[in-house]
Amino acid sequence: MSVLRPMDKLPDLNKATVLLVSTEDALLQQLADSMLKEDCASELRVHLTKSLPLPSSVARPRIDLIVFVITLHSRYSFQNVEESLHHVDSNFFLGKVCFLVTGAGRDSHCSVHRNTVAKLAHTYRSPLLFCDLEVESFRATVAQRLVRMLQICAGHVPGVSGLNLLSLMRSPSPPPEEL
Amino acid sequence: AWKCQNKLSLFGTETLTNSNAQLSLLIMQVKCLTAELGQWHKKTLEITPLTEDVLITLGKEEFQKLRQDLEMVLTTLQSKNEKLKEDLEREQQWLNEQEQIMESLNLLHGELKNQVGTCSESRILNELKTKIISIKKFKEKILITLGKFLEDHFPLPHGNIKKKRKNIQESTAQLITLNEILEILINRMFDVPHDPYVKINDCFWPPYIELILRNGIALRHPEDPTQIRLEAFHQ
Repeated sequence: MSVLRPMDKLPDLNKATVLLVSTEDALLQQLADSMLKEDCASELRVHLTKSLPLPSSVARPRIDLIVFVITLHSRYSFQNVEESLHHVDSNFFLGKVCFLVTGAGRDSHCSVHRNTVAKLAHTYRSPLLFCDLEVESFRATVAQRLVRMLQICAGHVPGVSGLNLLSLMRSPSPPPEEL
Repeated sequence: AWKCQNKLSLFGTETLTNSNAQLSLLIMQVKCLTAELGQWHKKTLEITPLTEDVLITLGKEEFQKLRQDLEMVLTTLQSKNEKLKEDLEREQQWLNEQEQIMESLNLLHGELKNQVGTCSESRILNELKTKIISIKKFKEKILITLGKFLEDHFPLPHGNIKKKRKNIQESTAQLITLNEILEILINRMFDVPHDPYVKINDCFWPPYIELILRNGIALRHPEDPTQIRLEAFHQ
């Protein structure tokens, strides 16, 4: 049972790796493509997985950023992410984890409430992004944001560390209690 | 780097549960931020030494940027120049047109001034009098011409024709010329405009009546066939 640790490997020169975790394969694939299309000074590597823990048989580089993608249409994706969180070392949550929520647009299909995910993000003190991954332009925008975050987390931006970024981002306020 | 790595790998891993996540994370964040802060304090910033190569590269970059900016400024100014030239042309044309209008208006003004200057009441009266006289003369001329024309082309019938119509009641009245008929009609038209109808007299020679009716010179009264009037050519 391997737990993801942020510092267990040496960083590769000018390479940044991001791990996207979600049960929604198609969306992940599209997001990965959008991220790779972005103009970036560092070499990007995108790893996709359904859930953690990762099989330890594969040799993989050091992971700089984990993005958990939850879709509001499926309770299962939420539970899956909740469980995967247990396999992440606590050191990761110092700015190297991000939650991404999709599907908030179609209210009728939502089975998970926004506040539930917001509470999760607040508990783990990590930034929460909302995006409708099915729309091309929104996806491109969020891909750009993630690439920037990744560069910072990989240390490719001088003077800013992942933790700095976390502090600079609006602190996740506790979501309003459900009535 | 290897030494640090080894040290790090010795650290145990810790995973979080939802309950203890917040507090432990916050504590960790405080620790790490303080450490980073300390690091920033200690670190002295290195300046890239200004060797010749560095200076040359930097200089080249600056010049490139400057050149690009100047080129942009040049193109903007050129297009502005073009536009200004066009505006100037347009305004010039407009000015020319206005000047022409001004000239013609001035001419008109001059002429009118001349006319107005010499105007006085007696002058107006005299002008009107001369107009009336000329119109009267014209009227006379026309009437004379009409009379001559009618005499030539529409004379009164001779005595021979009367013999053929013995059974018809002969009118003992003297026939009047077409000229006279027309005169009667015209006078009636202007004397009594609301009732310009004239009763057909025995003096009127019937064929001539037919002639003027058929050619639209006179019209019958809509209810009374014995009355005719002149067609209102002047209305």
